[in-house]
Order: sequence, then C-alpha cells, then structure tokens
Amino acid sequence: MTRYTDTQLDALRELANIGSGTASTALSGMLGKSVDISVPNAFVLPMAEAVGSIGDAESEATGVVLGIVGDMPGSVLLLFTPKDAELMCGLLGVEAGSEYGISALMEIGNIVGASYINALGQMIGMDLEPTPPAAATDMLGAIVQTVLAERAGAGDVALLLDSDLVVEGEDCSVSFLLVPDQGGVEQMLERLGV
Amino acid sequence: MAETMVRMGELAASAVAGDVLVSLGLGSCIGLALLDRRTGIAGLAHVVLPASGGNAPKGSWKFADFAVPELVDRVVKLGARRPMLEAVLVGGASMFAVSKSSLEVGQRNEAAVRELLREQRINVIAKETGGSRGRTIRVYVGPNKVTVKEAGGTEKPLLAGATAGVNA
Repeated sequence: MTRYTDTQLDALRELANIGSGTASTALSGMLGKSVDISVPNAFVLPMAEAVGSIGDAESEATGVVLGIVGDMPGSVLLLFTPKDAELMCGLLGVEAGSEYGISALMEIGNIVGASYINALGQMIGMDLEPTPPAAATDMLGAIVQTVLAERAGAGDVALLLDSDLVVEGEDCSVSFLLVPDQGGVEQMLERLGV
Repeated sequence: MAETMVRMGELAASAVAGDVLVSLGLGSCIGLALLDRRTGIAGLAHVVLPASGGNAPKGSWKFADFAVPELVDRVVKLGARRPMLEAVLVGGASMFAVSKSSLEVGQRNEAAVRELLREQRINVIAKETGGSRGRTIRVYVGPNKVTVKEAGGTEKPLLAGATAGVNA
C-alpha cells in the first residue's frame, strides 16, 4: 500500500484548500450568498474503507461528477444530501427532485467543479480540463464506489481530498471529493516538491 | 446473527447458518454470491473491475479474474461441492447517465463475471443487474436466501430462502 508522509498530506490538503476556495467564490457568485469552506481533509485509504469514511453507504445522496482529462486524469465528485439538495435548489428557485432541480445541481457541480479543477491545474502547473458533468441521485455507496471504480485501475488505495462548502445563513453544504488516478498523486507531489 | 460487510474488492465465505454476507450500495460493482444449497455454504465477492490486465499483485480481489476463482476455492474449502455451486449476480449498473466509461465498467463487470462463471460451469440462477440504480445485496447463509434492496426501497428476495436439502 502506498504511504504518504505528513508533509505530503499537508501539501495535498493545502491544494484542496485553495481549490475549494476558488470553487466557493464561484458558488457564491452563482447563489448570491457568501460561502464558507471547511478545513479540508486528506484521506489516503484502502479502497475498501473509502466509502465508509464518507458516510452511510445506503443513505440517499445526489452526486455530480466531472472527469479531469489532461496531465493528471481523475474525477471530482460533489455530494449533496437530500436536505442540501433541497436548500440549494430553493436558493435557485427550482424544485428539488424535478428535472429542473437536477439540472440546477448539475450546473452548480459544473461551475464549482470546473473552477476547482482549473485552480488545481494552475497551482501545480498542469494542463487540466474538466469534462461535462453527470449526475445521479441514489445510495451514497453506489455513487462513490462507481467513481472510485473508474479510477481504481492501478492501486488499492484511494486518495480523497474532502472539503465542505457551507452556504451562509442557509446552513447547507456540498462535500467535495477529488479522486486522482493512482499515478496522479505522485505527479502532484512532485510538482509541489514534497 | 452476524453481518459480515464485504466491501469494495473484498470477499467472504461462510458455512455458519445465520451468518449474513452484505455488500452495501453496489453501483457499477458486482456482488457475486455463490451458493451450494444442499450444504448451505455460501460466499460473496464485491467485484470492482472486470480484468487485472495480468500484472496485478496476488490478492487483488477487486478484479473479476482474481475474485471468481478465489471465491470458488473458499466455498469449496468450507465444504461446498463444486458441481453444486450456483451463482446470483447483483449490481453492474451505470449510475451516471452521461458518463460513458462508468456505463462500460458496469456492463463489462457483469460480462466478465458471467464469462468466468461459464468457464467454471457455474449457472447464474438469479440476478438483478444493469439499469441505473444502486443496490444492496444480502446473502443469508444456511437458509440460502439472497435479497436485493434499492435506494429508498425495501429488501426483496431474489432467491427465496429454503431449508437445506429442499429445492428453492
């Protein structure tokens, strides 16, 4: 199993922090509300443990996933609980669960995810492009496992950079996961010089 | 009654009646249950990807080509008879409608597991695969019952339980 030092995890956490900072600015512009970010977590976990660390596998969630193509392939996954999805849709004046609701969440995912990916690319000097978003509302485990499975080819370890965006006054949050392909983590660390 | 969680890339087998083997929230992954209904011995593998490409380390049970033969060995070691083994498949969904690659993973997982089962001459006697919904599989060791549950749904039997020796 690949191991990372504390310094390396700190560096990855810092990357996630700056990326989600940029993403929160984008979300704030879209919603017209101030958006705070939590201190990000960096988990390096055996794949089997990854889902459990995120939440109850059978709880309902809406996931919006964007692929990353370019120098460091990977995925960005945004997760909304049903309550958060409803609040978020309410802020945009659409009904959660309706066709408009899903496309509103996809658009949030698109804007937030793309700005995260762009910020990440700039920081590490890599050419990273987001692919168009896809969404699903289902069991949390099924959503997370499907995203991990796509990126699981090389190793048994998943790196999850996890931050929460909290929309002020509305107490709703989006969690954010960056799942790079296995080789991508080493590449990122190399660019960061740690 | 003990529930054993079979997480991504894991497998488990049991000969203890009352044990329950569970994989929660399968998306594109496949939950493969193997049962010898005469002896009441069963196993469950949580397959993530169809093929290892030949250079994966030993014990990479996330790959179908590693997991299927290993699961057969494990249930046989516990006393299941190889010719009596039957399979139940759950999962292999394409969760994200737009994402081509995840659709492929789900379908390719099912195709790979089915091909490997064919090679072992094991019949698939029940399945709930494909589509776009996540699913939980539970295997009740002893009663030979297998259930499936979708998001927000109730647990429903996929393979009706029966006592050992009785045809289900």
